[in-house]
Amino acid sequence: MPDNNHFEPRIVAFLCNWCTYTGADLAGTSRLQYPPNVRIIRTMCSSSVDPVYVLKPLLDGADGVLIGGCHPGDCHYQTGNYKTRRRYVAMQEILRASGFDPRRVWLRWISASEGQKFADTITDMVASLKEMGPNPMQVAWAI
Amino acid sequence: MIGLFPLKDGDALTAVRSFLQTLLSNDVVDALYVPLESAEGQILPALVTDPARLESANPLAPVMLVNGARAISALTQKKAPARLGAVLRSCETRALVELVKLQQASLEDVLLIGVDCPGTYELADYQAIQKEALFALEDALQAAGRGEQLEGPDLRLACQMCTQPIPEQADIHLHIYGEGLAGGLFVEIGEELAEKLGLTPVLDYQVKKRQQVIEQVLGDKQKLREAEISALQARLGSNGSIAQMFAACLRCHNCMTACPICYCKTCLFRTAAFDHPPEHYLNAAYRKGAIRLLGDTLLFHLTRMNHMAASCVSCGMCSSACPVDIPVGLIFSTIGTQVQAAFGYTPGKDLQEPLPLVTFQANEWNEIGEVK
Repeated sequence: MPDNNHFEPRIVAFLCNWCTYTGADLAGTSRLQYPPNVRIIRTMCSSSVDPVYVLKPLLDGADGVLIGGCHPGDCHYQTGNYKTRRRYVAMQEILRASGFDPRRVWLRWISASEGQKFADTITDMVASLKEMGPNPMQVAWAI
Repeated sequence: MIGLFPLKDGDALTAVRSFLQTLLSNDVVDALYVPLESAEGQILPALVTDPARLESANPLAPVMLVNGARAISALTQKKAPARLGAVLRSCETRALVELVKLQQASLEDVLLIGVDCPGTYELADYQAIQKEALFALEDALQAAGRGEQLEGPDLRLACQMCTQPIPEQADIHLHIYGEGLAGGLFVEIGEELAEKLGLTPVLDYQVKKRQQVIEQVLGDKQKLREAEISALQARLGSNGSIAQMFAACLRCHNCMTACPICYCKTCLFRTAAFDHPPEHYLNAAYRKGAIRLLGDTLLFHLTRMNHMAASCVSCGMCSSACPVDIPVGLIFSTIGTQVQAAFGYTPGKDLQEPLPLVTFQANEWNEIGEVK
């Protein structure tokens, strides 16, 4: 059994420029506390996060991947996040069907004004990943 | 209507050839995409403009080097340059429909000639059948028409478990199942075209007999498909087994090249996107204790799956192209079926139905993205 007490999950987060990234910024400027386990990558839209960018960190051993976008209906590019949602559905099916734990990939709608929601999301995700333990891919070398 | 094209020298292939010749000589099409048989007996897809070349046409040979949808994509792009006829199997037509939706091909000015498909052999098996004269093509067709298969090598797995051997989109549909080819070549065709080709309607066509044969063939294939898929699902369920299945992968990308759906001109995996500075590999090795070099094998397959599984038509060309016998097609069919089910989508069925990853509705999967 992995020692979950001393396990600090690593999360790679792809945040859309217009909402979630700004929300994360707000969390920072508001001095909200959240676990430092997340590495943030800013993208212009959640729909520009191709599945390959989610799979690459997962297979390389990241414990979780978070995709953050604007709330449905609020996409800066009108419909990007609706497509993200469908792509996420497909990816979840594929992860589940191929024996991966789909709970390692989160999609969350967090607006620019929701600094608290961003901090809460990271807190929840870290707690959930700690419960799941380290990503088995961390020791899978033959892939 | 159902028309009958008489057998000239008593065999089906001659009938098919002369039928195709009438398409060119009666000016129904300007050019015809159809497999030709080379002097060495290879069955090679070709674009034919001279009716005389159709003397060696052989769309009935049970072998398939490429999925013809790719060829029709190259031939049409946004619009066919001439009136084009295309003799295709059901899986080729289905892939073509997907390519049209992906804006990689056009059906404008294209006459689809579908043939009932009794299945195809791996190239090596087909060559063995020819070389050792295991059976004659004509006999195999007659047997297939009755829903039987002659003793010999197994069909390609994708064909064994194909539940859609009847082309649905065809403008002209050549029947093999049912009456067989003993009495002539039955052709399902629009009345206008039939008149142009001088075909008269068959009044006593045995629809029932055809349906019986098709039901029996589909039933067997459906059973095998379900068994193969659930066996694979059981294997895939355990953590890490998909990595084992792809462990032998040489990264040759043949599966991607053979795939009719994978159309990207510059695939990410053919760029330098995953070429890293040397230190990167060393760091990764420190992190995991060891890493496979060159890596990203599973990443390639899983990414490809995310990109095309919704449109996978289960033609199995990827499996046939794999030099290390990974059941790529079975894996993609199995997972693809699950993805397609999530969207209620059947690839290759309906030109009007939008691709699941391109379209959306505002009000769907509303639970996703919110705290549960």
